[in-house]
Amino acid sequence: MFVSTASVLGARASGTARRASTVLVTLLGLLALTFFIGRVMPLDPVLAVVGPDADSSTYDQVYRAMGLDQPIWTQFGMYLNDLLHGDFGNALLTGHPVLEDIKRVFPATIELATLAILFGILIGLPLGVVAASNQGRMGDHLARVITLFGYSTPIFWVGMMGLLVFYAWLGWAGGAGRIDLAYDGMVPDVTGLLLIDTALARDWEAFTSALRHIVLPALILGLNSVAYISRMTRSFMLEQLSQEYIITARVKGLSRRQVVWGHAFRNILVQLLTVVALAYGSLLEGAVLIETVFAWPGFGQYLTSSLMLGDMNAVMGCVLVIGLIFVALNLISDALYKVFDPRTR
Amino acid sequence: MNIVFPTLRNGLFGAILALSPMLAAQAKTPADQLIVGMSMVNLFSIDPANAPGLDASGINANLYDTLVKRDNGNPERHVPQLAESWTVSEDGKQITFKLRSDVKFHSGNPLTAEDVAWSLYRVMKLNFGLATTWKAYGYNLDNIQASIRATDAHTLVIDLPQPTDPLLVIDSLAISPSAVVVDRKQALQHEKNGDLGAAWLVTNEAGSGPFTLSKWSANDSLVMTRFDGYWAGPAKMKRVLVRHMTESQSLRLMLERGDLDLAYGMAAPDIKAIERSDALQVQALQRGTMYYVAMSMKQPEFAKQQVREAVRNLIDYQGIDQQVMPHYGTLNQQPMQLGLAARLPDPGYTMDVAKAKALLAEAGYPNGFNTTIRTLSEPPFIDIAARMQATLAEGGIKATIVTGTGNQVYGAMRARNFEMIVARGAERYPHPYFSLRTFVYNPDNSDAAGLPNFQGWRASFFNQQLNELIDRAGVERDADQRLKLYHQAQTLYDKQVGPIMMISQMTDTAVSAADVKGFTGDDAEATRYLGVYKQR
Repeated sequence: MFVSTASVLGARASGTARRASTVLVTLLGLLALTFFIGRVMPLDPVLAVVGPDADSSTYDQVYRAMGLDQPIWTQFGMYLNDLLHGDFGNALLTGHPVLEDIKRVFPATIELATLAILFGILIGLPLGVVAASNQGRMGDHLARVITLFGYSTPIFWVGMMGLLVFYAWLGWAGGAGRIDLAYDGMVPDVTGLLLIDTALARDWEAFTSALRHIVLPALILGLNSVAYISRMTRSFMLEQLSQEYIITARVKGLSRRQVVWGHAFRNILVQLLTVVALAYGSLLEGAVLIETVFAWPGFGQYLTSSLMLGDMNAVMGCVLVIGLIFVALNLISDALYKVFDPRTR
Repeated sequence: MNIVFPTLRNGLFGAILALSPMLAAQAKTPADQLIVGMSMVNLFSIDPANAPGLDASGINANLYDTLVKRDNGNPERHVPQLAESWTVSEDGKQITFKLRSDVKFHSGNPLTAEDVAWSLYRVMKLNFGLATTWKAYGYNLDNIQASIRATDAHTLVIDLPQPTDPLLVIDSLAISPSAVVVDRKQALQHEKNGDLGAAWLVTNEAGSGPFTLSKWSANDSLVMTRFDGYWAGPAKMKRVLVRHMTESQSLRLMLERGDLDLAYGMAAPDIKAIERSDALQVQALQRGTMYYVAMSMKQPEFAKQQVREAVRNLIDYQGIDQQVMPHYGTLNQQPMQLGLAARLPDPGYTMDVAKAKALLAEAGYPNGFNTTIRTLSEPPFIDIAARMQATLAEGGIKATIVTGTGNQVYGAMRARNFEMIVARGAERYPHPYFSLRTFVYNPDNSDAAGLPNFQGWRASFFNQQLNELIDRAGVERDADQRLKLYHQAQTLYDKQVGPIMMISQMTDTAVSAADVKGFTGDDAEATRYLGVYKQR
């Protein structure tokens, strides 16, 4: 018994070590790739600092100060060394340490993407289930139209239309930004998530303002997830509904509802986890268009502006964060697999 | 994709907006706060020693003060600010400023002549792009402390190290973004590794202007609060809040809803639509910056004067002005800004394909040649380039458009690695001398000289006679003589068919709610909100 526990523990430890080394190698590869691509991109970060009209002495001074005169391997080595000491470098755009910047912009995106994915799950899952259990009928066609809309309409355009209708015409939603400017900076920054911070401060006017601002972009951002999640749910469900155990359950007298939700749906939960995790990950890194339309000061905008400037410290920091997000989401979904699927334990 | 998608999207959205009922503006912003929407994507340093961008100038104009300012935009007449009065020595080699004694920085420290001298020394010591202004007058790190010095708390003496018209230096003290006065004590309190407070001043201020910086979150928002101890009396607005917004249509919706008081950087179709609104006012602001087409004389084709003249005859100046440039710029064919006494009238260049073809044949290119036009992938640059491509083709020149970011396009020009370019530069404030220096002057045409701060050098244009005329204008103290020299330089540049061909002078548009009063745009976006108020 003792021996067997030890061997199980040993196997787990080696599994963890293997996983940790895979994660490390992945992140290192990601960083190296980004670093070298960044160096061959025809973007000049020095110009961003000195302006297009600087003379050569100024240009050379900044070029050296940024370490660009060093061989590229040395630059990468220096970057990794700083990184190991927790120093991501300073961003050109803000002058702040990159890590500080990411801490500042990330909550805005987390708040937006979380609401968006909740919307995606709440609408997408039932829609997919309804579509599958009504295959070829009205419900299925309706779901297909909705998902087609979610997939095919440019999010930028939907964003502008949403602003026009719900903000400008009806006045239901707040305009651009995370909160009315009058409340900007009025509540203490505890979590960076405005809905939570305003609630903690019991400033309900500010909370309402933040809520009015976030609902529209989150719904629009979530549209694509609705489409993705419902399509995937539909196809997983169709596969399950054609299985023999479903027919057996029906023959045994279970209601259609019990079979669909209690049997088929439960069996696709594991696959759906991966789908939701991936959808959430892409929302976190890819909300840039909606962030632009709604002047949402989030991660996507930060990454894009940094990229346009050739601000590689900021870009590398963001890439690392995106890598970590996907790694973390994978780990979480692996862990949840074990909860939902006893066979993987 | 980059070009087509935004155009389609703008067109579609514009059409829907046009069909929609006019949105009723509601005055929702607070009466004592000004809410501004603009892109802050180029705002990444407000350190006066390294904040060359227009957006930074607009912010710093409110946080800092200068010694003097231009009198109604006239580059040769100035009015007091921090300096109550000033005198120029008989020989023109020394300027003495008497400073006000009642000025305090936001920190509470009194503003002294020592602060002014230190601020300029700091610019030279840090040696960013803005130091170029002072280097041009002969200042360097070795002589600046001896040449620009405080003789007592309120007297500043400036010696001119080389023959220069003192009016030029006084004008630079009025308009250079690096000429603002920094609180020496405050900055040095935040000094790290001998950086003279540079790291801190990138995102903080140490000024004496009518507003203090309360908050700045890059690419998000910026808040300035009224400085009640301002020497010229407090501003009327209690706070100015700037929100980072890049989408013109979002700006338009927020203006129409009354959630914004003032917006910069809106696209021409939105401005056009808004002009009809009673609730909003549109102000065209003439800037000093010019749109131009440039050719590199390093390319054998463009080194030939006939080819350059042919290109000049293939530019549809009037078409570009009427169809591309409304709300972006005003026709200007001289390397000098409109409204300046020193500027000659436009030479009247027009498109003449037959003449261009004859010139090309004369130059040995009867069938034209292939070339590239670099430009930014945004209006109006891309539209000018597309039009150029079409008209050059009429003359037989087959141009391929290469688009990129500002960084890429100007970077190639700085490296003298381009054929043709449609770009915008460089003088923020209209000034005959600085314009000619920027576009025409080139003291050394060798690659090794490395003078990318002169657009003439970038285009490999060198003419000794023009250099001499400009040099003489820079030291000439007699106004009439100076005027003659400027006129001669323009005439000669026209005859030489310089490779940098002006097309248009930039206009910018500010759209504000009708109740916003006292807003006067500045030539270089250094707009102060000191006198702005809301009439409610």
